[in-house]
Amino acid sequence: MNPIRLTRDVLTPIGKGLGVTISHLGKMLGTRGRAKFTVEYPEERREQFPRTRWRHYLTRYENGLEKCIGCSLCAGACPARCIYVEAADNTDHARFSPGERYAARYEINMLRCVFCGYCQEACPTGAIVLRKEFELADYDRKDFLYTKQMLLEPIPIRPRQVRASDEAPKAAPRSEAA
Amino acid sequence: MSQVEFVNITIDGTTVQVPAGEMVIESARRVGIEIPHFCYHPRLTMEAGANCRMCLVEVSMPRKNPDGTLALARMPKPQTSCSLPAAEGMVIETETPMIVEARKGMLEFLLINHPLDCPICDRGGECPLQNNTMHYGAATTRFVEEKRHPPKAYPLSKYVIFDRERCIHCARCTRFASDISGDAQLDFLKRGADMEVSSFRDTEFTSLYSGNVIEVCPVGALLSRPYRFTARPWDLSTQKSICTECSNGCNIKLDHRAGKLLRVNARLNEEVNEEWTCDQGKFGMDYASHEKRLRRPLIRDGAVFREVSWDEALTHVATALSEAGPAAAFLGGARSSNEDLFVLRRLFQEVLGSQNMDHRLGPAYPSAADVRAALGSQSPTPIAAYERMTTIIVFGCDLAVELPILYLRVRKAAVRRGAKVIECQPSSYRERPHANKVTDFAHSSIWYEPGQETAIAEALAHVMTGGRDPGASDGASDAAASLPNAVAEANVEFGSAIPRLDDGPIAIIIGRDVWSRSLSVPATLKAAADKMGTPCVINTYACSVNEQGARELGILPDGSVQASAPGLNADQILHGLKDGTVKALWVSGVDIASQFHDPELVTQSLEQAPFVVVTALDLNRTATMADVVLPLASVAEYDGTYTSMERRVQRFHQAFDAGVDVREEWRIAANVGMRLGVDMPYASWRDIFGAIATSERAFAECTPDNLGDGGRLLADRNNEDSR
Ligand code: SF4
Ligand code: SF4
Ligand code: SF4
Ligand code: SF4
Ligand code: FES
Repeated sequence: MNPIRLTRDVLTPIGKGLGVTISHLGKMLGTRGRAKFTVEYPEERREQFPRTRWRHYLTRYENGLEKCIGCSLCAGACPARCIYVEAADNTDHARFSPGERYAARYEINMLRCVFCGYCQEACPTGAIVLRKEFELADYDRKDFLYTKQMLLEPIPIRPRQVRASDEAPKAAPRSEAA
Repeated sequence: MSQVEFVNITIDGTTVQVPAGEMVIESARRVGIEIPHFCYHPRLTMEAGANCRMCLVEVSMPRKNPDGTLALARMPKPQTSCSLPAAEGMVIETETPMIVEARKGMLEFLLINHPLDCPICDRGGECPLQNNTMHYGAATTRFVEEKRHPPKAYPLSKYVIFDRERCIHCARCTRFASDISGDAQLDFLKRGADMEVSSFRDTEFTSLYSGNVIEVCPVGALLSRPYRFTARPWDLSTQKSICTECSNGCNIKLDHRAGKLLRVNARLNEEVNEEWTCDQGKFGMDYASHEKRLRRPLIRDGAVFREVSWDEALTHVATALSEAGPAAAFLGGARSSNEDLFVLRRLFQEVLGSQNMDHRLGPAYPSAADVRAALGSQSPTPIAAYERMTTIIVFGCDLAVELPILYLRVRKAAVRRGAKVIECQPSSYRERPHANKVTDFAHSSIWYEPGQETAIAEALAHVMTGGRDPGASDGASDAAASLPNAVAEANVEFGSAIPRLDDGPIAIIIGRDVWSRSLSVPATLKAAADKMGTPCVINTYACSVNEQGARELGILPDGSVQASAPGLNADQILHGLKDGTVKALWVSGVDIASQFHDPELVTQSLEQAPFVVVTALDLNRTATMADVVLPLASVAEYDGTYTSMERRVQRFHQAFDAGVDVREEWRIAANVGMRLGVDMPYASWRDIFGAIATSERAFAECTPDNLGDGGRLLADRNNEDSR
């Protein structure tokens, strides 16, 4: 091959390309820690964007009652039709939520969910929320059927001194042992 | 028919011709304008109506100027279109700024004390108040004071629950109770701000038609207890069906979700149930999704049942039936579809050569031939025809229990059309605990003791054929004074004098208790009817859902034209099982061990029977005594047709998949037939229905496609007496 063409068509582009790589390497080595694009997952985790929507939770009021009243509005709003709600009457012996009605069954098929957040938007009580927990992979299809027990937040337990005080904070800290 | 006068009115710029006196709200529908409303209901009277003020419109009327020219004069205030009769030249406006403002104001008033707890309200999603507020109401409320909080979820009866907070006092429910069901068990208590709907003090809401108020209530105040909180409207799918709880053939909608039947609502059919249902139907169809439903075929293994495959079960049945051959018998079928019965009949007649079949479970029913001899082959009076009757005679029939929707039609004929209703009832009916009695609107009530039926029938026949006191004026005659001796001796208690009966068409309804015991009552009345100049039909209506279909298709020992000798009837079949002349029995869909008049006989026969196969929805008493039990599909799980007591063939549709291993009865019968070497190539109900139409003269005009949503009356029997 003609050495002129070899230099022009092969070696020069390779050299240019390598130059870019080497210059970036230099930049990174020079500014360690600031412009790093990858993290050491799963030991390290990225901060999620504020409006990221992943795993659903059914939340509770401060007093532990479920916010969900089993109204099925989330199921009506869901474009993937992946929520199933069955309601029942609260009784004096078994009270789950304020008022007459609570969700006796609440299921989300996570395989069908498109994480649009419409359910959260439709909910009149703010019961269903999508939070930032994104590690939803699993081994078995049936494990993607999230039941009410899986979706419900644990009952909040307030530390003693806070409960005794008159000015309980609005959002009580949650104990990990709940 | 009297001449209807028409008037021209203009609604929002469209001129339309409507019958004079029609309410403007209805006229607006003709031009496609829906005027929002709550209290208006076309089937309820206007007394206590026009109270919600939602349907306001602006009205201008033509008025003559002094010089003779016409000018439009606008009424100073808006008018309620639900109570405004259309008049010539009327100009209606439904969307003026004044009306928009007025609607907004009315809704604001209605919502002052309304909880607006739509998310937990069973009406939410199909609620006129919610819809109208969305369309016409203000976006926010100005009412900041505390709302009234009467009790929620007050149980009115075992079916109806009442949320007093949500009631808007439209009086639809109270008008239903007084106008339609006639028991008047719901009414307003107190006045003004304290006004509330209530059943009377210490009385339960026991109407046999209570479920309808759930449907007429325009808000979520009256709600169904069984359906409470089980689903929201958008969770439900709906399918057209036919009620299976009696022979009236009410058109219904099945609301289901995830393979479970949750709710039954009425479906409009002017010829049958209008838009009503009875409680038996509305709340009685939960068997379709009952957890006790059978799921797999069972074969007896000593003292226990073993679950087996269909193949094994069917082979077993086919073997046993073919061994029995002409000594096989068939009982039941009054709850099976026309298609089921047709294929079963073919199996027994053509494959096994047996005419031992009977769908009747009562005591020594008269044979079909005797019925034909006594009553001729008149078609029964269709339900809607009752509105054209001058006289209706109810003989020994607790109508609201036996034929609930016919009761509503007879009541309508009496109350709205002025028909004279005469009832002759056993005096024990007076003590019946329910509130829907013919007595409430009957012209005369005659009470008899058991055994006096024939005497009463003779007395009636006497009056029918003109044997009344000639001195009496046109109206009532003192019939008792001129009665035959037998009647006078029987010392019958006459509630009031019998009116003259020969002044218009008559329909006579004879209760099953009467005609199944003896044909003397229908025969006596029929003889009298034949002598009268006016048309008179004697009705011995079927009572189970497809009992009429079983009659039409000849599920009777002497029902077949082809068979040379009649087969055995129900009693004979059961005795035959004991003495060994009947070798195999097929019981279809009916729990004969609990429903037959002589349960003892059934138990003994089934215990000694060589072979019994039972098709059933659940393991009922009969099934527990069987050798093979085959699980049936319920009405919600397959397609087919029923024939109602007025000979109306109506279609029911599959609502959901059974999800378990159940089958239609016709499929079972066809499978057995094929195992015995006879080709029954049926793939769907359509094939069978086509075959029925070809082979049965009564069904000749029917095709699978011409039944429509409202069904079709079978050809009139009077035109086919060549038989
Ligand atoms: S996020 Fe969207 S798709 Fe997922 S459950 Fe909610 S509404 Fe349905
Ligand atoms: S999560 Fe919210 S919208 Fe869904 S049923 Fe519960 S209360 Fe209703
Ligand atoms: S009656 Fe209608 S408007 Fe009232 S709470 Fe129920 S759904 Fe809402
Ligand atoms: S209960 Fe329903 S139907 Fe009866 S008056 Fe109240 S709103 Fe009307
Ligand atoms: S609908 Fe006319 S006043 Fe209620």
